[in-house]
Amino acid sequence: MEYGNTAVVLMVVGVSAVVLALAFFGTYCLNKIVDRNAH
Amino acid sequence: MHLIPQSWSHWHILLSVFPLVGLVFVLGFYVTAFASSNEAMKRICLVLFVILGLLAIPTYLSGDHSMELLSQNPKISQDLMSSHFGWGVTALAVLVLTGLTALIELWRSRRAEHLSNDALHLVLGLALITLALMVISGELGWDINHHELRMDAAAQKTPQAWSHVHIILNHFPTVGFVFALIFYIAALAMDNTVMKRASLVLFVICAILGVPTYVTGAASMWALSGVPGISKAVINAHRDMALVTLFGLAFTGVLAWIELWRFRHLGSFSNLSLYLVLAFAIITLGVMAETGHRGGQINHPEIRVATDVLPTDPKAGWSPAIESLINHVIWFVPWQTVHFFGFSLIFATALAISLRVLGFWKSMPFSAVHRLLPLGVFGVVINVFSGMLILFADSFRYLNATTFAPKVAFITIGAIAVLYFSCSERLWTVKAGEDAPMSAKWVAAVVLLSWAGVIMGGRLIPYV
Repeated sequence: MEYGNTAVVLMVVGVSAVVLALAFFGTYCLNKIVDRNAH
Repeated sequence: MHLIPQSWSHWHILLSVFPLVGLVFVLGFYVTAFASSNEAMKRICLVLFVILGLLAIPTYLSGDHSMELLSQNPKISQDLMSSHFGWGVTALAVLVLTGLTALIELWRSRRAEHLSNDALHLVLGLALITLALMVISGELGWDINHHELRMDAAAQKTPQAWSHVHIILNHFPTVGFVFALIFYIAALAMDNTVMKRASLVLFVICAILGVPTYVTGAASMWALSGVPGISKAVINAHRDMALVTLFGLAFTGVLAWIELWRFRHLGSFSNLSLYLVLAFAIITLGVMAETGHRGGQINHPEIRVATDVLPTDPKAGWSPAIESLINHVIWFVPWQTVHFFGFSLIFATALAISLRVLGFWKSMPFSAVHRLLPLGVFGVVINVFSGMLILFADSFRYLNATTFAPKVAFITIGAIAVLYFSCSERLWTVKAGEDAPMSAKWVAAVVLLSWAGVIMGGRLIPYV
């Protein structure tokens, strides 16, 4: 099956955004837990 | 899968890895117990030495009976079996002695508060001698029935070292998880913080070792392709389960690491998270047992029974399907991009933390930069999965690339070294304006060099 350039670019942006969002959100949550429990 | 082995050879394959690989892990805990002066942990280790000593009996009996059966097989070298038997019996004898010494010390100190240091050191010395003898015996044992170790190295499709490392390495996450679970359950029951942390560290190490185990397994697949008597369908069934194992190891390892990180900042564990780690570890161990069983069926026709239904279609299963899917540009390019993002996260985090340890931006306490660490660990997780998918796309080419083996070795070293940042007591107390201890600086240098090596090794794959 052939894919157009637009589909490939959208997949690159979509997959990267989801994966990076999960990593940053995970780090944010863990640091939030530390902040909440430290006070 | 038949849960209870139905032949002496099967029993021997299962049992014989515990005295060797198990001893490595018990010794690791034992040394930790000495370093932290934790009496409860020392006692648990002594109990485990006794159990390992007892295991010497079924290991010997199953080995002796296996030898009788395998002697009738003309394809198996009698000299190799005799050498394995000689070294094996010697190793098991010293193991029994180690277990007996541990038992005497446990009995002697049952009412005393402290264990005798002389006896503890004697157990340590005997265990180290056992380990050395076991390594020789194990190496000779693995040579007996593994085609890929006896084939002409020049004629193999992938470097023989990969297959050799896989045969040894695959036992570490499996047996390591058994011992980590024993310690972990004991730690939860005794509410012993040092033991909880040591078990969590072991879960993380086993998860990290899952990466080289999986990669070397892919190389062994190529080494065994086309060998008479070896079924590609049976290999694929093993690969599929290994994929599930990798997920299980990653989930358990990350959860365990998060608890280590949280403990560092809060000084206490979350009970919910601790039991979540336990649940994941038990599930992962079950999956690993099935993976190991399927792996054993590749090279060991002697453990098969009449009721075993072996797969026959080499194109069935998830692994061939993923191989076909990831070769489409729409799947490959996004995951390759994610792989580069993963490296960026890992290197940025490693750089920031390592530079603080090495003496840069001293105005910040170490605890402040330690907060960044989850980002790097998530980067590792991202790259394990994206890297595994990329490997699926063209495993033959990657595994034969000169710089791929150093890259995998650097991943393992770099990831294990990062654990130090969440475990060291001295480093944790480094306040703003203070210098980190020299040992921490060495670890920081190893972390930086390892991850730089990973990036360079990966980038050179298409060219060298």
